[in-house]
Amino acid sequence: MSMVDVRDVRKVYRRDAEELVVLNGLSLEVEEGDFAALMGPSGSGKSTLLNLIAGIDRPTSGEVVVAGTNVARLDETGLAEFRSHNVGFIFQFYNLIPVLTATENVELPLLLTHLSKAERRERAATALKVVGLADRAGHYPRQLSGGQEQRVAIARAIVTDPKVLVADEPTGDLDAKSAFEILDLMQTLNRDFKKTIVMVTHDPRAAERAHTQHHLEKGVLRD
Amino acid sequence: MKFLPYLLKHLRRNWFRTGLTVLAMAVCIFLFCTLQSVLAEIGALLDSTSAKRLVTRNSVSIVFDVPIAYGARIQSVPGVERVAMTNWFGGSLPAKKEGKADEGDSSSTTDWSNFFPNMAVELEPFFAMYPEFQMPPDQYQALLQDQRGSAIGRKLANKFGWKIGDTFYLESFIPPHRKADGPFEFVVRAIFDTDPVKYPGTDTNLMLFSRKYLYEATGRRLQAGTYYVEIRDPGKAGEVSAAIDALFENSDAQTRTETEKAFAASFVAMAGNLALLLNGIGVAVTFTILLVIANTMSIAVRERRTEIAVLKTLGFTSRQVMGLVVAESVLIGVMGGALGIGAAQGMMWLLSHTPGIQDALAGIGLSELNLRPLVAGLGFANSVFLGFVAGFVPALGAYRARITDMLRTV
Repeated sequence: MSMVDVRDVRKVYRRDAEELVVLNGLSLEVEEGDFAALMGPSGSGKSTLLNLIAGIDRPTSGEVVVAGTNVARLDETGLAEFRSHNVGFIFQFYNLIPVLTATENVELPLLLTHLSKAERRERAATALKVVGLADRAGHYPRQLSGGQEQRVAIARAIVTDPKVLVADEPTGDLDAKSAFEILDLMQTLNRDFKKTIVMVTHDPRAAERAHTQHHLEKGVLRD
Repeated sequence: MKFLPYLLKHLRRNWFRTGLTVLAMAVCIFLFCTLQSVLAEIGALLDSTSAKRLVTRNSVSIVFDVPIAYGARIQSVPGVERVAMTNWFGGSLPAKKEGKADEGDSSSTTDWSNFFPNMAVELEPFFAMYPEFQMPPDQYQALLQDQRGSAIGRKLANKFGWKIGDTFYLESFIPPHRKADGPFEFVVRAIFDTDPVKYPGTDTNLMLFSRKYLYEATGRRLQAGTYYVEIRDPGKAGEVSAAIDALFENSDAQTRTETEKAFAASFVAMAGNLALLLNGIGVAVTFTILLVIANTMSIAVRERRTEIAVLKTLGFTSRQVMGLVVAESVLIGVMGGALGIGAAQGMMWLLSHTPGIQDALAGIGLSELNLRPLVAGLGFANSVFLGFVAGFVPALGAYRARITDMLRTV
């Protein structure tokens, strides 16, 4: 059963009279529980494809079905709701809120739920434990290393127990050792927690951790 | 409410900027409350006047007297019911409440901080035309029978703890109203009240005594300060006023007769068109603060474009993000508003208790300045409104912004 089903998707950006075709009739399937890597040169459309899968952008044409929902047909509010329930996003630059502690950052997506404060705190603590940062719960992002920040960001991505994790170059801003640990963690989430992961990366060593690799070039899949 | 800690954390992010913005809002609300309180007190003062009463004074200025002989002639004008001659006494308590004239230099022992409005009036016609001032008949008779007797308003009596039979001394700052042998001695013979429902705005922070006492004690040379004139038909106030002034058109001391309300308004307006001035200042300050806060919020939102993108990515709707930005701005408004209202309350108290300023206010009939609940409420609503408006435009930007565009500008 496919968790992500992208069918004949086109994404065209318009700048004045000029049209820029970023994705051109692309189709892709990612099975439930898969760990897929999207690779390709800059400008090939891999981040755009990831944004479409994550529901933060909509295709110009075609269908993007994620966890059974055709995100291309959702309005802004529907997309927001879809993201909060189904998708955990991991950014290259972590994008933690600097004024919030690790726990508060992880708790942020739970503010959209009906959970009590105690329940939110408990779930945030569990997520931090999963990523191995239980002892850094009260630390602010500035008090953490890059690798630790990314692990907090991963905890934030998994705290709502989403079906799909999308990662946009999660190791792109890390040293080799930290990158290795992050990839280990992602593998654990995929293997032990059955999370479907779609990861954009430039790094062949990172892509090797994935079960499947997809190469994009000029808006189409090469293989 | 679950978002409140999140909002407060953001406000603490740049506490210096937040503090300055809150302070700017506080100054705005402080000015609004202070100015509107003054205007409200002036409004109450004017509302407490009667349309049946006119005031005749020297046309040159209130500081010049009018001859005593005018009283009988004004009484003869058709439509006039009664006339009462009055003089603003300008007395203050000596430093020693029970002090005597022979206890040293009287002028140096006068405590001008205890200034309160006091007038020498022709008692019978004056009280007859002021039904607002109510006192027991026996006290009124006692007042008429004792030349040193004084009628004290309830608020004033409470202020100094005076009761019937108490003696006190007053020294005037107006030279013609001073005696060679020291301060005037007065006995409290009557304490008058008012009905706040029937006569709203009537101030009882006032002392009245017989003009005859002042006249005789100052060598019988005293002229009339003003004439209070009661007319039979308020609808003919203009006609009667013109008739009174026409009587003295060719005399040395020409008169100006106007309704009591116009007289009170002109008294207040000696400092210029206060209402226009105060409202103008208020509007200018409010608009300036609106721009300041809107600018602050715009900067805050621009600095947090990535965070807004993250919130949206996590599943916050555009409306929720917009709500957070507006709520943050309103929170600044609320904090500034509360601070401003507190400061205004303090200023009201200070103005009402500072010697000199208190005297100046009492001189124009504002015996006491209070921050009225309505003004405080309006001030608070103003702060919330300003916060909302200032945050709305940047919030709208956050609402419309696309996640991909905001992440791209990282």
